[in-house]
Amino acid sequence: MTTRIVDAPRGREPATPSRPPADLRVELGGLALANPVMPASGCFGPELADLMPVDVLGAVVTKTVFATARPGNRTHRITEVSHGMLNSVGIPSQGAAEFRRSGLGGYAALGAPVVVSIGGLSTAEYWRVADELAGAGHAALEVNVSCPNLERGGATLDTDPRAMSEVVAGVVARSSTPVLVKLSPQLQTIGDAAKAAADAGASAVTVCNSFPGLAVNPARREPELGNGTGGVSGPAVKPLALRLVWLAAQAVDIPVVGCGGIRSAADVAEFLVAGATAVQVGTATFAQPALMARIVAELPALAARLGVDRLADLIATLTTRPKEQP
Amino acid sequence: MSGPAALGVLEGERPVPACERAEVLVSRPLSDRYRLLRFRSPVIAERARAGQFVMLAPVTESGPVLPRPMAIYTRDAAAGVVDIVYGVVGAGTTALSAVAAGETVVVTGPLGRGFAIHDDTERVLLLGRGVGICAMTTVAQDLADTPVRVAAVLSGRHDASIIGADVLRACRADVRRVTDADGTSGVPAVRERLHRAFDVDPPQQILTSGSERLTRLAAQLAARWRATAQVSIEAHMACGLGYCHGCAAGDGDGTREAPLVCRDGPVFRLRT
Ligand SMILES: Cc1cc2nc3c(=O)[nH]c(=O)nc-3n(C[C@H](O)[C@H](O)[C@H](O)COP(=O)(O)OP(=O)(O)OC[C@H]3O[C@@H](n4cnc5c(N)ncnc54)[C@H](O)[C@@H]3O)c2cc1C
Ligand SMILES: Cc1cc2nc3c(=O)[nH]c(=O)nc-3n(C[C@H](O)[C@H](O)[C@H](O)COP(=O)(O)O)c2cc1C
Ligand code: FES
Repeated sequence: MTTRIVDAPRGREPATPSRPPADLRVELGGLALANPVMPASGCFGPELADLMPVDVLGAVVTKTVFATARPGNRTHRITEVSHGMLNSVGIPSQGAAEFRRSGLGGYAALGAPVVVSIGGLSTAEYWRVADELAGAGHAALEVNVSCPNLERGGATLDTDPRAMSEVVAGVVARSSTPVLVKLSPQLQTIGDAAKAAADAGASAVTVCNSFPGLAVNPARREPELGNGTGGVSGPAVKPLALRLVWLAAQAVDIPVVGCGGIRSAADVAEFLVAGATAVQVGTATFAQPALMARIVAELPALAARLGVDRLADLIATLTTRPKEQP
Repeated sequence: MSGPAALGVLEGERPVPACERAEVLVSRPLSDRYRLLRFRSPVIAERARAGQFVMLAPVTESGPVLPRPMAIYTRDAAAGVVDIVYGVVGAGTTALSAVAAGETVVVTGPLGRGFAIHDDTERVLLLGRGVGICAMTTVAQDLADTPVRVAAVLSGRHDASIIGADVLRACRADVRRVTDADGTSGVPAVRERLHRAFDVDPPQQILTSGSERLTRLAAQLAARWRATAQVSIEAHMACGLGYCHGCAAGDGDGTREAPLVCRDGPVFRLRT
């Protein structure tokens, strides 16, 4: 028998007679989501609508958009590593104007709020993307501050909270929607970065982007990826991301979106308890294209199992405070 | 592989893919180097065009994180089954070889753009090496009940490492094997042999997969015979659908990204 998961169950599982179905809604800095599950930037596209009901997602997130067109990095761009993957795709982009003309519509048609991820190689480029997208109909922006910054010798923005604040404040000033800031895990103190983002006007922080890593081909004495290093993602990074979510959630009052290695409803619960208000699923979708819809369908049963009527009641319920400084 | 500049994107429709948990019906060695996996998927078997592929992942908690692209070796729409053939190379294919009949795999497909056979083509030449032959067997399947004549050169290290000969013969293809072991697989020897066989009545289309040297030979033969050539290429993949941008066919041209192998390929026109 072939079980089709194309038609993944829609909506909610039948509730037990004693309990009404759990309330899955969460509030993300002015953005009301039907449930906390959304894809991670770069790990989702409208193509997936052929394989799962996309309108059940809390939101959809685009690949990072730059101001001008970029070709992306040399090949190979991806490879498997221990319990994860390494990527250095290099964010090819059609440019913001072309994205607004021909890319955004494909996401808007999916029936879930659209979060547009934006990037830049300079402060001015981030602002230009925000300008280009003004009034385009998206629900929120997510600022990807893990892009190499040419004004700063190629270092990523988030290694310098002041530079990051300037970028975020400028994007917030140009935008009528909530602005999320997606932090990188490279930071010494995730708490300081989260605070800097909040002070600059961010509505939420996403924690976190992929972890810098290297895969080596010993026979060729070469890195496996054309770009040399890349970002590690997938199950290997889940405990690393969970810790950062926990620390960030202690440091700021704005919501935290958890991201890193999530591949089940149980993983979602771990991130919510650690302090996340919503979650993003990246790498896991590659092997199981309909996974996010399945996770959404399992959330009511998850809430029942954990004894809450509202899924949001799980958020930041870890009983111990971190011993480390956030 | 020839440089990306030599690749042109083919036109033609791509069927809508499906994603299924498919039952594995057969999982066994095919020769000393290759294994066969047969799974039940009426949808993919019915929709797949020649030269398309699937993304395949075993259902395990601790196995590989990324699915692996695999060419559709044969498909039988009536029986609702699809065969793939693979070499056990690394962690991904090792995990696949551990999947037993009765277990399930997550399969997404059919994916990509396959080979395009022109209406006025009377003769097709397939040039394949090793596991690359698996990308072309479906062409012979499609042409088996047509007047189009199919000839195939199958290249491999030795006799036992050549696959597909039986499938191609069953599709009435004229099969020639060349091997490193008996010294017949060198490009000059293959070129010479093909000139002799086809200069008088050459093929209109040459299709190739699995070897950069055979790809260059395909381009040369196409120029000599005024034929067109198509090549199926490989790239590291994550999504197989076109959204992760992991599988670019080259390094792009400054602002524009090279074609994506999963979406624009894996079969490309070879500019000669
Ligand atoms: C369109 C397409 C069709 C394919 N069809 C077949 C087929 O019919 N039979 C077959 O045996 N193989 C086929 N391959 C290659 C196959 O997907 C495996 O990746 C390859 O055999 C390597 O084995 P592995 O995954 O065990 O290696 P691993 O060592 O586990 O691979 C490590 C990483 O490198 C990537 N990788 C390594 N080699 C290749 C390669 N040649 N192509 C793509 N990615 C690679 C893997 O995806 C993985 O991310 C095809 C590839 C593509 C792109
Ligand atoms: C192939 C690939 C492409 C990615 N592209 C982007 C991107 O364009 N912008 C971004 O902010 N993050 C990008 N990411 C990072 C993911 O959004 C996510 O933060 C990371 O993969 C960790 O989550 P995961 O373990 O669930 O994949 C990408 C990740 C992968 C694997
Ligand atoms: S494999 Fe994802 S775009 Fe081709």
